[in-house]
Amino acid sequence: MDPQKSYLGRLLQEEITPVIMVFTTHLVEDACQKNGLNFIEMLLPFSLFNKINVPVRTASDQPYRLQMFKLRLAYASDIHLQNYEAAERHLKQVVHDASHKSLTNLSSDPPELEDLLKDSGSDLCPTWIQTFNKELIQTLCFSEHETFDHPVACLLVVSSKDERTINKFIDLLNTDQLPSLLNDGVMDPKILKHYLLLHDNQDGSPEKVTSILAEMRNTFGSNCKLLCINSAEHADGASKDISWMPYGSHTLPRDDIACFLSSDDINSVRDFMQDFSCNYIIPHMEQKIRILNQQVAATRKGFRNQIKNLWWRKGKEDAPETPNGPTYTFSSIESQIRILADYAFMLRDYELALSNYRLLSTDYKLDKAWKRYAGVQEMTGLCYFMLDQSRKDSDYCMENAFSTYLKIGSSSQRYATRCGLWWAEMSKAKSQFKDAANIYFRISNEEPSLHAAVLLEQAAYCYLLSNPPMLRKYGFHLVLAGNRYYMSDQRHHAIWAYRNALCVYRENGWSYISDHVHYNVGRWYSFVGILDVAVKHMLEVLECSHQSLATQSIFLNDFFHVLQSIGKKFEVYKLRLPVINMASLKVLFEDFRTYASASDVHVSESLWQSLEEELVPWASSGRSNWLDSQMKPSSLKRKDISVCVAGESVTVELEFKNPLQVSISVSEISLICELSAKSEGTETGKSASQIEPPEDSDHRNSPSYRYPHNDDSFTLTKVDVVLGGGETQRIQLEVSPKIEGLLKVIGVRWTLSDTVVGYQYFDFDAKNKQKKGRRSRHSSSSNLSFIVIKGLPKLNACIQHLPKKVFAGDLRLLLLQLGNQSKFSVKNIKMKISHPRFLIPGCMEDLNMDLPECLEKQKINGTRKAPADVTANSKSLLFSFPVDAIIQGETSFTWPLWFHAGLSGNISLYVSIYYEVASCSSDMTFRILRMHHDLEVMPSMDVSFNITPCTSSLQEFFVRMDILNKTKLDTFSLHQLSCVGNTWEISALPTSLSVFPVQTLLAGQALSCFFKLKDCRKSSTTEEKLTFRGGDLLMVSEDSKEAMIDISKSPMVEFHQQERYHQGKSAKGDPSIVEFILISKMQGSDPSILPGIRPKLLTNHACYSSVSSKCPISWQMSGPRKINHNFSKSFCEASFHLQVHNLSDTLLTIRLATTNCMLERKHSSEVAKLSDSSGNGGGWHDISLVNDIKAISNVHGNRPKKSSLETSSPFVWCALSSTKLNLEPFCTTEIPLKVCLFTPGTYDLSNYELHWVLKLPEEGITHDGKLCSSGSVGGHPFYLTVLQVRH
Amino acid sequence: MIVCVAVVGHQNNPLYLQSFTAADDALKLHHIIHCSLDVVDERVNNPKKSGPTLNETFLGMLYPTENYKVYGYLTNTKVKFLMVTTDLEVKDADVRSFFRKFHAAFVDAVSNPFHVPGKKITSKIFAERISGIVKSFGSVTAG
Repeated sequence: MDPQKSYLGRLLQEEITPVIMVFTTHLVEDACQKNGLNFIEMLLPFSLFNKINVPVRTASDQPYRLQMFKLRLAYASDIHLQNYEAAERHLKQVVHDASHKSLTNLSSDPPELEDLLKDSGSDLCPTWIQTFNKELIQTLCFSEHETFDHPVACLLVVSSKDERTINKFIDLLNTDQLPSLLNDGVMDPKILKHYLLLHDNQDGSPEKVTSILAEMRNTFGSNCKLLCINSAEHADGASKDISWMPYGSHTLPRDDIACFLSSDDINSVRDFMQDFSCNYIIPHMEQKIRILNQQVAATRKGFRNQIKNLWWRKGKEDAPETPNGPTYTFSSIESQIRILADYAFMLRDYELALSNYRLLSTDYKLDKAWKRYAGVQEMTGLCYFMLDQSRKDSDYCMENAFSTYLKIGSSSQRYATRCGLWWAEMSKAKSQFKDAANIYFRISNEEPSLHAAVLLEQAAYCYLLSNPPMLRKYGFHLVLAGNRYYMSDQRHHAIWAYRNALCVYRENGWSYISDHVHYNVGRWYSFVGILDVAVKHMLEVLECSHQSLATQSIFLNDFFHVLQSIGKKFEVYKLRLPVINMASLKVLFEDFRTYASASDVHVSESLWQSLEEELVPWASSGRSNWLDSQMKPSSLKRKDISVCVAGESVTVELEFKNPLQVSISVSEISLICELSAKSEGTETGKSASQIEPPEDSDHRNSPSYRYPHNDDSFTLTKVDVVLGGGETQRIQLEVSPKIEGLLKVIGVRWTLSDTVVGYQYFDFDAKNKQKKGRRSRHSSSSNLSFIVIKGLPKLNACIQHLPKKVFAGDLRLLLLQLGNQSKFSVKNIKMKISHPRFLIPGCMEDLNMDLPECLEKQKINGTRKAPADVTANSKSLLFSFPVDAIIQGETSFTWPLWFHAGLSGNISLYVSIYYEVASCSSDMTFRILRMHHDLEVMPSMDVSFNITPCTSSLQEFFVRMDILNKTKLDTFSLHQLSCVGNTWEISALPTSLSVFPVQTLLAGQALSCFFKLKDCRKSSTTEEKLTFRGGDLLMVSEDSKEAMIDISKSPMVEFHQQERYHQGKSAKGDPSIVEFILISKMQGSDPSILPGIRPKLLTNHACYSSVSSKCPISWQMSGPRKINHNFSKSFCEASFHLQVHNLSDTLLTIRLATTNCMLERKHSSEVAKLSDSSGNGGGWHDISLVNDIKAISNVHGNRPKKSSLETSSPFVWCALSSTKLNLEPFCTTEIPLKVCLFTPGTYDLSNYELHWVLKLPEEGITHDGKLCSSGSVGGHPFYLTVLQVRH
Repeated sequence: MIVCVAVVGHQNNPLYLQSFTAADDALKLHHIIHCSLDVVDERVNNPKKSGPTLNETFLGMLYPTENYKVYGYLTNTKVKFLMVTTDLEVKDADVRSFFRKFHAAFVDAVSNPFHVPGKKITSKIFAERISGIVKSFGSVTAG
């Protein structure tokens, strides 16, 4: 790029130009002021020549042509160094004006990053910054150490009205008016002078003037000119296309500017300036250059001169160093060289200028005239640049100048700044924006904050322009700039800088910075009064959970402060505070499904549906195949639209979270809804699609804009909450439509701290929205639209006295209360309960009874029978209320329910109640009321039974009941043990009444009780009447008055059936199975259980305690125990019978083997095996009991062993040694046995073995895991005493 | 003394930023770290072509401001580690070893199965380890 065409090149050509010193008289100024201009302002538009095309010949003989040329005009009184404060004020004014001129669109949106990057180069850097740079440079004009600001010529202007014109000219040149530069000897006082006579045509004809001009020519020579102005009578528009740039002032252009200047006047001014520069200034400068060049060549060029110069300067080295170095007068050779170089620079002979600057810089360096040295270095750098020579050299020079200026101290800081500005421009011209930015940053450190701000802003733009753009640095420098602007009270600029930086920090995650920027921008906007934008920015920082508590409260306070100063409630779309978790959106509504309480809604729909399969007419009839389920003909069932009932509320649940540590108050949370009334004549089926209003157009509009008037067709609830720091609350919002039509829930609105209204619309495309409704399958596409249908009756229900915590086995009577608050009556009520094990409906009579008493056995034998409609199949447990149970409007209805906690653990009970609307005119003929209760069932008692066949009787069994109180605190008192059915009879062991003194079971206590169980099946039919009673055993002491509980009464039977269904899975009717019910009462000491809900009665159902043990047979030896025999006659023969009973339900093959030798080992091992298996029998908790058995059996087993040792084989089995026979199930057979004894004594006739083999059906192999298919057992001990009969 | 360390994700999102100064200059340090990313980008986009530095993770000094020096380190998953120090004379070798330890700690932290990649590191153990490394760095240069 041609450096002369670059910005810096143009800048230098415009700024480093010859200065003309202007002297005027008052009358001249008066004449010019008629046009609203002063004299210089009048000439100014014509001092710039774009196509002057003048041949110039400087030191070399080769002339070249100047194209562009400019003269700088300055009043003599202005030619002095500006003082610091004035310059400061002036620059501040420049910045301030810029804020009004160019920063008008502050309230617009900040630029986007893409737009910034698209904008190329110069668009970015605002023009006012260039103006500022120029003004900053101009504050340094007319310095001592540089000569390019020194006037080249002076222009003396006198008005024709002035008296004694010639004298006036001389007076103007009076020395006390001259600038100090000339007087101090820094400048050559012999300066080119030009005399101008200004004539105001309004003052008359120019005849007199020509004579004055002639007189002037005589006195001053040829360089006298006449200029006539103000020849126009009124404004003729000739001057309109000329930009009358006000000089040094910033007044706005007025209409009356140059109104008296005719086009002739303007042409004459232009001609004058052209003539002045071409014929006087440029030739004068050329001539001066040539003269000076010759002088310099004579004194300094050449080897001899250089040596001389060096030697001469060496001598001055000892001179004391002054801050500004030695003073140089205009006549000194150094000043001459400087003038030569500067003139050459101004006439664009950069080669000449460069060689002289370089010559000069060594001199100044040797002289330690640092300021001058730096100035020369600066110019050298510029020369290098203009010559487009090595960048390194120019950079080196600029760097050198810059650091030298800085080294000198505060007086030269501004020069350093100027140097830096040029240097930065130089880098920019070479597209080295990063370097330029660095330079701007460096000089910003030396300047007061306002200037620094401007410089930093420029640095920022440089970073943006660099390739690739360094956006973060751009942002950072803008922030720095903005900060400094703010410090120097330039709020508009500060805002401008910050908001431009915003786009950088939109990058993810840098919340600290973006919060700072947003917050400050917001604050500053509020300072300058643009409150709505202020709020917009403030909103961005509200969700500042990462900030400290103090910062959060500052943010909030400022935000509310701004809002208060607005004065009205502000509505904000998507206000960030509090945070709404849209994924948590849940819609709860009731169509034909109604819910007893809010918690019932959260139960999954499929669970309800499976429960209600038989309850709901269409649900049971449909679903035969997938086609049917798709085409259910109903006008109300459509994909997206749900149904709700007028007068009943639709609830929307949302999570509101306060991300801050500061607590916030949120009030008036309510839904935003639309309800379009059903127009007459349209079917409900069509209305949904037709009424649907145009959607999605303006979701950002505020709700008050969209719905300006309050709709009274529905009511909304308003919720006020205070969210503490970090708190999340789930808030239920309701809308209840009052009329039929189409209801749409659109969004939610809330008021934060009574100052700002936030609103947010629900995103209809949100996939993750959960909707509780019939159409849960379509929830992804569902929206929040509802068809509102006519009001319907709605039942509400509650189960009274249902406890939350119960003990297992708890049996109690509950009341189901159904209420109908509407005016319509409902009929055909049906109920279904999910867990009939826990809850069954009772009958009407139960209502009037107290719990324990009603179950007690009446003295008169109860005639009540189990209700016929209760079936054991739980799946179809559908309870229909009596047909006459019609709940009239505004009445309530009670029905008893039996509750029995069958199993410990957490259980959810679901109850669905179906009812039909009596007056069937609506779209909806039936509704379902759903109830749901969660219970915690705590373990109470663990009961297990073990039954072992009695060895002495085939029909009798020993029952051992092990009870363990599993509670922590509670005491139970045992009340009754019953075995179900009439085939068994349980009774206490005769001795065990004393063994069983405790009726109470303390917490944690374990207890074993023994009972006798008798199989009554064998007993004769006459006994059967009594077995009803025989199944129960009252376990309380005799003297207490407590009555038996009748287990064959209504709830007990049903619950027992349920228990049987749930506890065992084998087929019923197994005669070897005994079922027990243990009834106990609570004596409770746990104070946490309220007395009212203290369980009165607990029943434990133990089903399927099988009497069969490992061995499927039971047998009994019968025969004489004592024989008197005279052994002297013969040996003794004794006959026995072995009764063998098949306990199993399969055919058995039994083989009896008698052995005459003792089988001690086998016997004992058999015992051990048996005891082991009993350990596996289930429900045996106490190991020590097993050990007891072992001990007992050891006693049994060891004795015959000893005795047998004493009496070795004293008897012989005779008759069969082995019998084999088949035994039908549950049959008994007898095997005759005979024994021969030889000596008197006591014999243990247990040395026989019974081998059995099950003839199993194919599938029944080990069908309970207990029974082996075959096995053998040893005999029971049977002692026979034989006495010798003495004769 | 190390003033601040930071982990910046491959999308230039801050993953971890911890300052070790008593003064409330978090904002300034955020700015410095943020700006340094520009330099990291620059280094990454204009790598020195010479052999040994081809796979170099250590980026060297990025950003000399008047009071601070910023050093950078780039993992091969484009996660950047940045360190701001006030020490005027820091040996490159020290900084390298510092970053190596830093990297190891980071790898351990993100190997936690409960860490979501691309989210901020909230592990306390990581924070403790980093402050330990930072302290040891100070002592090494002091001694």
